[in-house]
Amino acid sequence: MSDQNPVQEAVSVEREPVAGACSDCGKEELMRYPVLSEGGWYQAVKCQSCLHSESREPDPVGPVEIASVVLV
Amino acid sequence: MPKAMVGVDVGGTFTDVVAVRDGVIETTKVPTNLIDTADGVLSGARELGVDDAGVFNHASTAGLNALLTRRIPKVGLLCTAGHRDILDIGQNWRPADAVTDPRWRRSFGDALAPLVPRYLRRGIRERLGADGAVVFELDEDQARRQIEVLGRCAVEGVAICLLNAYVSGAHEERLLELVREGLGEEIPVAVSSRVSPLAREYQRTSTTVIDAIMGITYGDYSKRLDAGLRELGFEGQWNYADCAAMLAPVEVAMARPSRVIFSGPAAGTSASAHFGGLIGDLDLLCVDVGGTSTDVSVVVGGRPIVNNTVELEHDMLVSTLSNEITSVGAGGGSIVWVGDTGEIQVGPKSAGADPGPACYGRGGTEPTMTDACLLVGILDEERFLGGQGRLDRSLAEQAFERLETPLSLSERVFNAFNIGLNNIAEGIADIVIRNGIDPREFSLVAYGAAGPMLLPSLLGLIGARRAIVPPHPGLFSALGLLSADMVFMESRSRYLPLAPESAGEIRAIYEDLQKEVETQVDAGSGAVFRRSFDARMAGQAYETPFIDAPDGEIDEAAIATMVETFHDVYEQRAGNRFAAVPLQGVTFRVQATVPTQKATFAELPERDGGELTRSRVVEIEHLGGEPYACDEYQREELRRGDALSGPAIVREPLSTTFVGPGQALAVGRYGEMTVTQEESS
Amino acid sequence: MTDTAVTEPGLRDLSEEEFVARYGAGRFTCGVLANRGRYVAEHICTDLLHRAFSPIITFSQDFVGAIVGPPEQDYPLAAVNKGNVIFLGSLSTGVRNTVWEYGIDRLEPGDLLICNDPFRVGNHVNDMCFIRPVFHAGEIVSFVVIRAHQLDIGGIVPGGFSLMKKNVYENGLVLGPQLIFHRDEPVKELMRTILDNTRFGETLLPDFHTIRSCCALGERLVQDSIERYGIEAYKGAIRYNTDASAASMRAAIASLPDGVYEGSDAVDSDGVDTEVEYRVQVKLSKRGERLEVDLSGSSPQSRTSLNATALDAQTAVALAVKLVLDPFSPFTSGIYRDIDVVVPTGSVIGAGPPAAVMFYFEIQSVLINAILRALEAPLGERAVAGAYGSTNLHTGEGLNPDGTPWFSAAELEAQYGAWGATDAGDGNNHSGLATLNMIMPSVEEIEPRVPAMILHREYLPDTAGPGTHRGGSALMKQSLFLSDGDHYLVPLHFRTPSGSGVHDGGDGRAGGSWFFEDESSDASTPVSEFRVPEPDDFDGAAVVSGVVDPESGRLDPGGEFAFFGRKPIWSERRGSVLRWITNGGGGWGDPLERDPEAVRRDVRDEYVSIAGARADYGVVVSGDPENDPEGLELDLEATERLRREMTAERG
Repeated sequence: MSDQNPVQEAVSVEREPVAGACSDCGKEELMRYPVLSEGGWYQAVKCQSCLHSESREPDPVGPVEIASVVLV
Repeated sequence: MPKAMVGVDVGGTFTDVVAVRDGVIETTKVPTNLIDTADGVLSGARELGVDDAGVFNHASTAGLNALLTRRIPKVGLLCTAGHRDILDIGQNWRPADAVTDPRWRRSFGDALAPLVPRYLRRGIRERLGADGAVVFELDEDQARRQIEVLGRCAVEGVAICLLNAYVSGAHEERLLELVREGLGEEIPVAVSSRVSPLAREYQRTSTTVIDAIMGITYGDYSKRLDAGLRELGFEGQWNYADCAAMLAPVEVAMARPSRVIFSGPAAGTSASAHFGGLIGDLDLLCVDVGGTSTDVSVVVGGRPIVNNTVELEHDMLVSTLSNEITSVGAGGGSIVWVGDTGEIQVGPKSAGADPGPACYGRGGTEPTMTDACLLVGILDEERFLGGQGRLDRSLAEQAFERLETPLSLSERVFNAFNIGLNNIAEGIADIVIRNGIDPREFSLVAYGAAGPMLLPSLLGLIGARRAIVPPHPGLFSALGLLSADMVFMESRSRYLPLAPESAGEIRAIYEDLQKEVETQVDAGSGAVFRRSFDARMAGQAYETPFIDAPDGEIDEAAIATMVETFHDVYEQRAGNRFAAVPLQGVTFRVQATVPTQKATFAELPERDGGELTRSRVVEIEHLGGEPYACDEYQREELRRGDALSGPAIVREPLSTTFVGPGQALAVGRYGEMTVTQEESS
Repeated sequence: MTDTAVTEPGLRDLSEEEFVARYGAGRFTCGVLANRGRYVAEHICTDLLHRAFSPIITFSQDFVGAIVGPPEQDYPLAAVNKGNVIFLGSLSTGVRNTVWEYGIDRLEPGDLLICNDPFRVGNHVNDMCFIRPVFHAGEIVSFVVIRAHQLDIGGIVPGGFSLMKKNVYENGLVLGPQLIFHRDEPVKELMRTILDNTRFGETLLPDFHTIRSCCALGERLVQDSIERYGIEAYKGAIRYNTDASAASMRAAIASLPDGVYEGSDAVDSDGVDTEVEYRVQVKLSKRGERLEVDLSGSSPQSRTSLNATALDAQTAVALAVKLVLDPFSPFTSGIYRDIDVVVPTGSVIGAGPPAAVMFYFEIQSVLINAILRALEAPLGERAVAGAYGSTNLHTGEGLNPDGTPWFSAAELEAQYGAWGATDAGDGNNHSGLATLNMIMPSVEEIEPRVPAMILHREYLPDTAGPGTHRGGSALMKQSLFLSDGDHYLVPLHFRTPSGSGVHDGGDGRAGGSWFFEDESSDASTPVSEFRVPEPDDFDGAAVVSGVVDPESGRLDPGGEFAFFGRKPIWSERRGSVLRWITNGGGGWGDPLERDPEAVRRDVRDEYVSIAGARADYGVVVSGDPENDPEGLELDLEATERLRREMTAERG
């Protein structure tokens, strides 16, 4: 039958710390990471305390590259 | 001299009664007694008199009300072992409004309000294959034990529905014998292979169970009504109208009572088709705007479009021919409310008859379409219901003012009126699209309590050629009961390729059906027989219903005709023709239509000198722009050939017709008022 | 997420002037147009539902109709029909990606653009996206979109529902953005390519034409609206539609307490082995009106076709939040305005090429479970118990004794089942997953066409999650095969219960699947001589999947997990029987507080046994439910005593 404890691997999204204070709550906990929301993908810089977005750059291609679209 | 005819249509609020004597139509409305609808029916019959009537035709809601409120007799179900939960499962799907609602439960499921609780659904050890052959024999001892349990529980009736019984009723018939042995000769039993020998076990189980329930409910009701009518001196034939507004003598209807469960809306279609035939208008959009809802149906070439299933609650299905009707929660009593963004919405909730619109003064505080029409000036405070009722403007105003929205009072009323109209228009669009209809080639028949008041204003939205307000629009559905045919029918399902190899089997089926129908019809009654079938293209799930099949020998040529007819009908409705795809016949049907005496309409005389004059001028406001003057007329003063321009209001005791600016009204041969759009509004 | 430092006034509070300034039309016109958009989305689907050839379109209602707004508004999903919600998250971004890649300037009136690549448009390759541009005065003002499941799209397995597909090339034909109709004429080369590479072409082809007609109808209806109300009002109403649903979702999010909430759920296996776990991990962070849903910690993408893309994650997140907080408001892309989804690329919930993406809906199902679990605590009484978990799909094919081929997909499985209980009452017994809403094909339709008999489809007692409100019960489904065949089975949630109880309710029992294999019969054995096991009989069955006692093969939570993938294809003879037991739905509330009279009714109806009434509910019922259901006796005193004892024992 089966093994009771399957191997757990995990994949996570890296968040890059960004210097500066949040313009909404003042805390210095800004991070940059990709998010998916209304309008598609963005590279966002968000305050980890209050979730306010300091900046959001649209990223139309997104993190998954389609080889044929790159090549042709 | 033909005898009098009486028709009674029971609605949610009012029971409408019409009598035709010597070509004169008399009408009355009595309040519906929801607990005991027969009471209202007999009241109305008493008022108009039935002792000289040869015919009494009845559209009853008694069965439907009982079913919807679950005030139903205790009925047991014998089903194939392993399939006790067909009725809890239904077709599995959730209604559109509950797709993401975790609190939704099937309305007739065991978690809410089943028609037959699970312990009364007994599995019988037996099994037929898809070809009707016995796979597992009927275990009679086990069956007797299940029947005993039903007896111990004192069920009032039994439904029998086994898998694949639509092909062979052998096991069901044997079970019926065992039920008689165990529970006696008197107990009502509905057998699926007799009630509805059609494929799909859920629909058949549902239909058979509802038939068993209705047999008991209607059985009592019919006896009561019969006794009451005889007491009033009635000596004629009384008939029920079914879901396609076809009439069946009470004995025939009671043999298959699920057929008559939902006839009211269909009667309106029948009335429209009959009246349309009289004035030469054969393509009709029939729109019945009532207090709570609007029912839309279609007549093409003089014949209503018919479906093979009727839906009583979401997914509660009865297999019976019914007029195809789209129902929208928009009517005279629809409640006006404010949505999350401050926008005005109308319906589907309704103020009903109690408390009713705010202006009725019966305690209703929410504004309704009726309140909007009163404030606009279409309805008259003093002259509601022919003077029987009074409407209070100030209550209507207060109700609108109570709405929490930044809009002005005038904007609120404008929005309510137009959004209500839009909702009705979408309901019409739905049936138009579903049936591939071009509304520009159709006339809209406006009836029901609020039809003539609202529908002419929709002409531009819908694009129909014109709107026709028939005589007696407020009771038009009841008139449909005196415009309908008496029809006897039998149908049967067999999945057969619609190809030459099936000709023999299809011929045999039609022959059998013909014989069965003949036993119900009096020879010499002048019955006209008609064959039809439901079919689909190989791979499709849904059949296109009620396609004409040729008379005479079913041979290769006849099959080819059936195939061609199918593709024609499909193309007309769907806009595509897939001639290469093989067809599968699903249901075959024979009907016998017996000519009946139908209501005649008196011709309206032409104007004999003098001019049509308005009775007064009223002010119309809140409909955008400045208030404007509107001529008011009394319908009884109109004569054939009269023509008037909008804006205009035509009043009659039970109805109001509103003709907008840029519209014109012409009075026809039978007093029907035809409204056309002169310029785009 | 709109980046506003100050909360905007609610739409309700805008004066009519402010409203007109913002949307180019008043509330009335916007309201009418918003409703109209939804009606149009319904109307374009009416014909498709009733006329489609694909049974997956008709029965599973596996399609959606939608209106997407213009490029200048960034392709918002403005209106959608109230049908299958599983496509919703992918429509806005999917259409944007497709049109952008094809080249918006190349589109002409009468064109129908398609794409089915999960990495561009989400869902799976069967779900073809059909996009028709609507022009007004030379510019594109909207797109009418239908997305519909094609019965087959190539790949190594008919219908495609097999885990054995290991990569894009085995998965099915991938079609990037291209036209299937040009100026309303079929693009024959593409249609031929599709038919040359797929099965059941005679089903696919008429549906392409029907879909084109439906989209053309949508275009006419949209142009009607524009003619009647003007282009500015039409465009304004689209923005209004999305703003209104954004506002509704914002209020829903705000109703949750601020905090960080975690949950997870796993599928049983990706079909290769049971060594690697496939889990979706969810962390919801909520502050004020902002919600961030981080799926970090989820398992890597699988070795088979059990994968979903990020757009599917987005759909499932919104659905789960809607389910518990905002079930009734219309779905537009505006609901994502305040929700950021953080998806790890290369995970089972954010797969990338060349992964095969087929069973994305199974991954969505565990994602939704994870969110329901995460939100159990903050929702309190509003918490929703879990449902039956997996679609358990079955595909079968083979040769009949007379040599003709047979094929069956998605009919002999256990695709539907119980929902969990809520504060409103007991769970519904039988419906599709939250993401799906299907019409179940009837036995009498299946049996003439497929060499099988569905002998059993009934609920089982003592399987519902106990609670003040009981979950829906498990279903046992049993089919007897009348021909030899090869069967592909994908049961994905029997290893752990999926019907989690909430608010002190119990979990629904996990189910399983078995094949009673017949060794002795041959083509001439009459059907009446085949063994048809009683519900309680597990003797000699091969356990396909489930946590069972290894000796008896019966379900046993303390037993061992039997792994379905140990046989990628189950080859079975005529006379074999496939049995399913679905998972029960979760209970809501303490079962010791369930109304004893309700428990007596449960026993009467055989949803709960007499022993179960005692053990799960502390209710003492006696009698013979099978033979004397109305004669059951409820002993209230004994119940009270027993419940006190059981409460004390809990400690």
